[in-house]
Amino acid sequence: MDVSELRKNAKVELDGHPYVVTEFQFVKPGKGQGLYKCKLKNMITGAVLDRTWRSGERLEAANVDSRTMQYLFAGSDGFTFMDSATYEQVELSAELVGDDKYFLLDAPPPGSDQPIAYAVLFYNNRPVGLDVPSHVVMEVTECEPGVKGDTATNVTKGATIQTGLDVQVPLFIKQGEFIKIDTRSKSYVERVNIGK
Amino acid sequence: MNERPPLSTPQRVAVWDAALDATRQTLRGAGLREVLTPVRLSAVAVEPFIEPVAAPPGLLATSPELPMKRLLCRGAPSIFQIATCFRAGELGDHHREELHLCEWYRVGEDAPALRADVEHLVFVVFDAVAKALREPGLPMPPAPGDWDEVGMLDLVEQTLGLRLRGDEDAGALAAALEGATCEEARRDVSRLMADPLATVRDERLASSPRAHALAAWTAFFSAWCDACLDPWLRARVHRGVHVVDFPRALAALSAPDDARPVAHRFESHVHGRELANGYRELGDADEQRRRFEDVNALRASLDLPALPIDHDFLADLRSPGLPPCAGVALGLDRLVLLATGRTRLADVAIELGGLL
Repeated sequence: MDVSELRKNAKVELDGHPYVVTEFQFVKPGKGQGLYKCKLKNMITGAVLDRTWRSGERLEAANVDSRTMQYLFAGSDGFTFMDSATYEQVELSAELVGDDKYFLLDAPPPGSDQPIAYAVLFYNNRPVGLDVPSHVVMEVTECEPGVKGDTATNVTKGATIQTGLDVQVPLFIKQGEFIKIDTRSKSYVERVNIGK
Repeated sequence: MNERPPLSTPQRVAVWDAALDATRQTLRGAGLREVLTPVRLSAVAVEPFIEPVAAPPGLLATSPELPMKRLLCRGAPSIFQIATCFRAGELGDHHREELHLCEWYRVGEDAPALRADVEHLVFVVFDAVAKALREPGLPMPPAPGDWDEVGMLDLVEQTLGLRLRGDEDAGALAAALEGATCEEARRDVSRLMADPLATVRDERLASSPRAHALAAWTAFFSAWCDACLDPWLRARVHRGVHVVDFPRALAALSAPDDARPVAHRFESHVHGRELANGYRELGDADEQRRRFEDVNALRASLDLPALPIDHDFLADLRSPGLPPCAGVALGLDRLVLLATGRTRLADVAIELGGLL
C-alpha cells in the first residue's frame, strides 16, 4: 500500500509483525515532502512504537482479520475454539491464551442461551491473539464464610471462581452465587442475581 | 488553551462570510481587481510534491498561479482571486484536498509590499472573525502583534549550526550537512531524510546536476522544516514570521537575486503555521521551463509521473512577457482556522460530506 493510504486503525506489517496505527498525523511544508507521523501498536505483543514515513514510500498492509469464535475445550497444551460462522476449529497455544484461560467458558454464561463470543485475531491465517469480553459472569465455587456484623466497606475476602481464578470479593458474597469479573484487572465488579 | 468545540453550521457560515468580506474589502481597497480563472486546466505549475487531481481531459487547479500570470502578461493590472483548488492526497488536521487560496499579484511592486499585505490581511480577518463569532467566555486568539523577517539560510545556521550559501550542489550540501554543529538537530534531519540523501543517489538524477541539486535541497528542506523550523516557530507563536531568501534550488517560480545565490521567495507563518507563500515573479521563460523539467526529473526518480508543462504559459512569458510583479498565495482555510482558535480544518470548513 502507498503511505497516503495510512489512516488511524490501518493495519501494516513491519519487520514481520502486524501493527495497528493508533495515532496519525500528516504534516507537509507547502512545497516540501509530506510526512506521515504514526504511533503504532504491535497487534501481538502490544508494544508501541513511533514511525514516520515520507510521501511516496510504500509499505506492506498486514493481512490480519478478527474472527468471532466460541470456546470448546482445553487440550494438553492448548485451547480449542470454533469459528461461529464456519465451524472451523483452531487450537490456541497455552502461551498465547495466558491468563485469559480463566475467562474461557464452553457453555453459555448463566442467564444467557448464547455461548460467549471470543475474538480471535489471525495474522496470515495463523491465530496470534485472543480478545475476551471485558466482563464475564462466573460462579463462585469456593469462598470463606462472611463475618457477621462486619459492615465496614472495603473489607474483602478470598474466593475462587469456577475456572480456578482467585479473586477478592465483598464479605456478603456466598459460595454458589454469580459475580461479574473485569477481565482486564481480573477483579470483582458486582454480584449478579441469576433467576434459577 | 482549552480545546474549543467544532463550529456549528451557523457559526461556520458567519465566520466564512466575515472572512471573505474582509478579504475582498482589503484587497479591493488596496486597488486590486478581483478575477476568476478556469479551475480545469491543461497543466498546472510543476511541483515535486503537489499532486493535481485529474479532471479529463485536464487537471483541476492546484493554484490559480499560471492563469493569473497569463492575465498579467496580457495587460491585466494588479489582481486578486479567491480560488478553490485541489491537491490530491493532502489530508490531515491542517490539510484538505479541496482548499481555498487567496492569491494576489501587484504589478510594478516587489515582495516586501506583499508581506505588508499579508500582515494587514491577517489582522483584518482575525478582527472580522472575532466579531462574527462572539463566543462568551472564550477569549479570541489574538492576531500576531509583530512580525519578524528572517532569512531561511540564517535560520538554518541558527537551528543546525551550519552556514550554507544557497547554491551548493547535491554533493556539497550532503558534505555540509555532515558538518552541522548542532548534533541533535543534525541527527533529526538525517533521520527524516531516511537513508541520508537517498534520493540524490538515484542514477536517474545523475545526468542533471540541477535536478540533482533540487532533489537534495528538497529532501533537506522537508526534513529541516519538521525537525528545526516547526519547533522554532512554535516557540514564538505570538509573532508572525516571514521566512525569506530561499536557496536557488528552492526558488520554485520566483526570481533569483542578482547578487546573492538566493531567490526572492518567502513563506509567512502565523501561530506556528505556514499560511502564505510569495515571490518576486520569475519572468524568464527559458529558466522557468528548465525548472519545470528539473522537477519532472526529480519526480521520475521518486517514481512519480511527469506532469504536463504549460507551454501556453511559457509562450506568454516570452511574449508579451510578464511585467515586473510580485505575487502571493494565502491559505484562507488555515487563516479562518487560526482566527477561530480551532485546531482542525474539519472544525471550521463548510462541507456537507458525501463527495469524497
